[in-house]
Amino acid sequence: MNPFEKIFNYQILSRLEDSGTMIISKHERGWLKLMLEHPTAAVAFDSTTLNKLHTVLELELSLDTSGLLHKAASKERHVYHPGVRIIRQAITSKSLLHISYLKKNGQPSNQQAAFPYKLEYSMVKREWYLLWYHIHNRRLMRTRLEKTLELVLQACPETDSERYTAIVQKLLSKRSVSADIVIVPEYNGELSRILYAFSCFEKEVSYDAEADTYTLRLFFDSSDSEFVLSKTRFLGKRVHIIEGEQLRRRMLESATNALARYAEPID
Amino acid sequence: MARESFDKEIQFLRMLALTSGAYNRQQYADKLGISVHTFDKTIKRLKEIASSVHQKLPAESGKEFAETMRYSYLDSSDPMLLFLFRAKSLKETESQRLSLLLAALHGEALTAKELLELCSVSMPSELSLPDEKTIRGDLKYLEQVGVIKRADRARPYRYTTNHDLIQNLSNDELQDLYDFVDIMANTQLPSVQGYLLRDGLKKHIVREQSDVDSTSSFLYKYHYYSRILDEGHLFVLLHAILSRRWVSFIYFSPKKETSYASKNTNPLFEKETEGQQDTLLPIKVIYDHQYGRWYLLGHHLRSGIKKYRLEGLTQISTGETADEELFAAKSTELEQRIQHSWLIDTGRKVTVQVRFFHPGPGIPNFVKERVLLQGQWGTVTDESDETFIYEIEVNGTIEIKPWIRSFGSSCEVLTPLKLREEMIAEWKEIRGYYESL
Repeated sequence: MNPFEKIFNYQILSRLEDSGTMIISKHERGWLKLMLEHPTAAVAFDSTTLNKLHTVLELELSLDTSGLLHKAASKERHVYHPGVRIIRQAITSKSLLHISYLKKNGQPSNQQAAFPYKLEYSMVKREWYLLWYHIHNRRLMRTRLEKTLELVLQACPETDSERYTAIVQKLLSKRSVSADIVIVPEYNGELSRILYAFSCFEKEVSYDAEADTYTLRLFFDSSDSEFVLSKTRFLGKRVHIIEGEQLRRRMLESATNALARYAEPID
Repeated sequence: MARESFDKEIQFLRMLALTSGAYNRQQYADKLGISVHTFDKTIKRLKEIASSVHQKLPAESGKEFAETMRYSYLDSSDPMLLFLFRAKSLKETESQRLSLLLAALHGEALTAKELLELCSVSMPSELSLPDEKTIRGDLKYLEQVGVIKRADRARPYRYTTNHDLIQNLSNDELQDLYDFVDIMANTQLPSVQGYLLRDGLKKHIVREQSDVDSTSSFLYKYHYYSRILDEGHLFVLLHAILSRRWVSFIYFSPKKETSYASKNTNPLFEKETEGQQDTLLPIKVIYDHQYGRWYLLGHHLRSGIKKYRLEGLTQISTGETADEELFAAKSTELEQRIQHSWLIDTGRKVTVQVRFFHPGPGIPNFVKERVLLQGQWGTVTDESDETFIYEIEVNGTIEIKPWIRSFGSSCEVLTPLKLREEMIAEWKEIRGYYESL
């Protein structure tokens, strides 16, 4: 199966777009057939739809990936979550959600008026989160779908939804931070590996040819600082945060506390 | 004609995605082992494709091109690098003709003759008109890739676009399908065909229900988005594995300075290639979720089990079929050797024991949660109210070490002693970096 088919060519694509023509190749159907074998398909579709899809794809050749192995993957908590459908509807129609959820201390929350703006899937934790604006508290929230207890859709006047969207944008831009990380030149031989480890971030790389030094500037939401730190610790002595006071302080703390763990020799 | 290779484009985009505009033109060209002229030509071509696909014009330079990718990445789940798979080159006449045929067959059933007539009316006058044989060839190709089908069995055959998949779906069902495709393409492997399907469904939904945008509610964090570049090679290799065929390629180790070299067709200018020609019986392709990288593992005549990074493979060609018995034997051997690999290490097995510390009373136990989530086949045993022990039998400690270190002071390596000592030495060095605070 060649992923570089003529039929996928960009000129054909844009001409078909102009004429409003949709095409679906056997490659795409074969892929879909493979994906429908995943147990999550039964959650994502109601049984009538799923049957229709199975019938249509009956004679298609499923993509064969038996030669493919995964390593170091997180366990999949879930892929599709039953809450996805109603939340997506709410986001699309710019509606409100009345939600209640289990708080971090394990207690159920009261029902809250939420303006949902995105559904986020964490590739690290392998589960869904609802990103929403807490109308009463005027704060951005992030709630694991697994922890939601009740989700009720409620229409929202356009003037309100526009106002909430603007507030969300403003709050998000406030939370956007950056950090500069230098690759210790001694480890330039491992450049590829290091860049791969950081390739999941929004970033800029600069290279000082004279000093043969690479510096990465990562851009992230301040609520994701922990993840940046965990990646930095992951690479150990190869990298060094040079800009971002709070993160530098945390790295010092980590190193100091880690060494304290090893203070007592083991028997 | 040899199959068009996208090695250069893949290497080019990979470097762009990883180094995000760190190099100037000359440095970039040097690292790729191509001339500045070829660099300019490649970026011009990629720019043309990307701008036609994304309708957003990336600028001339590598840096600005990279910025376009950067700024698009976290706002949407549109896969920026998918345009690579739109790069198959096509003559103007052919792309005009195929588009015309498909548009004509959209919702209508026509014969080759009727399509020929249509072409003579609708093809732009500056392009040469196709003959019936060409049209039949096109129809054969389109039928073979499954985008059209025969409308019935009567002769002469009438063809129509194959929309069976979405034909009987209500709007709500179509939306459910889009959501599913979006989610699976982003969270499962392989992705490319799913992203292509997602792209088609998205445009279809937007066309049909233009008043609301129901296709951009999802985000995926943190994704190794350059992983799809390697899918350019994936299917050739998976097919070779399935059909037990040997493959040959030129390998550029990612540790070397140059990651690609242009193929010189003029023997007078032939430089000694820096890559290494190799032949392998491929057995497994491994995706490493820790770094978002791909590996090819297989049986090498001289060296036995050999491992390659997919990104270093160029000029892959499929060769002879191997003996089924040989494949089965080598496959069993390989599976045994990598059974305890954290990633792909086939070194000696060791038992690693780590003591983990709970974050403290009143704080959700995210440490244990993460160990259970990512600790692969390792076991967890509660030790005290504050601690638990994680134990795993693993090939060597090199691959698991970064993961353990990422927990910072939430853990302490107990065995092997050597790993414990390495960890202490590393933390000392890391503390040194920040001591001036």
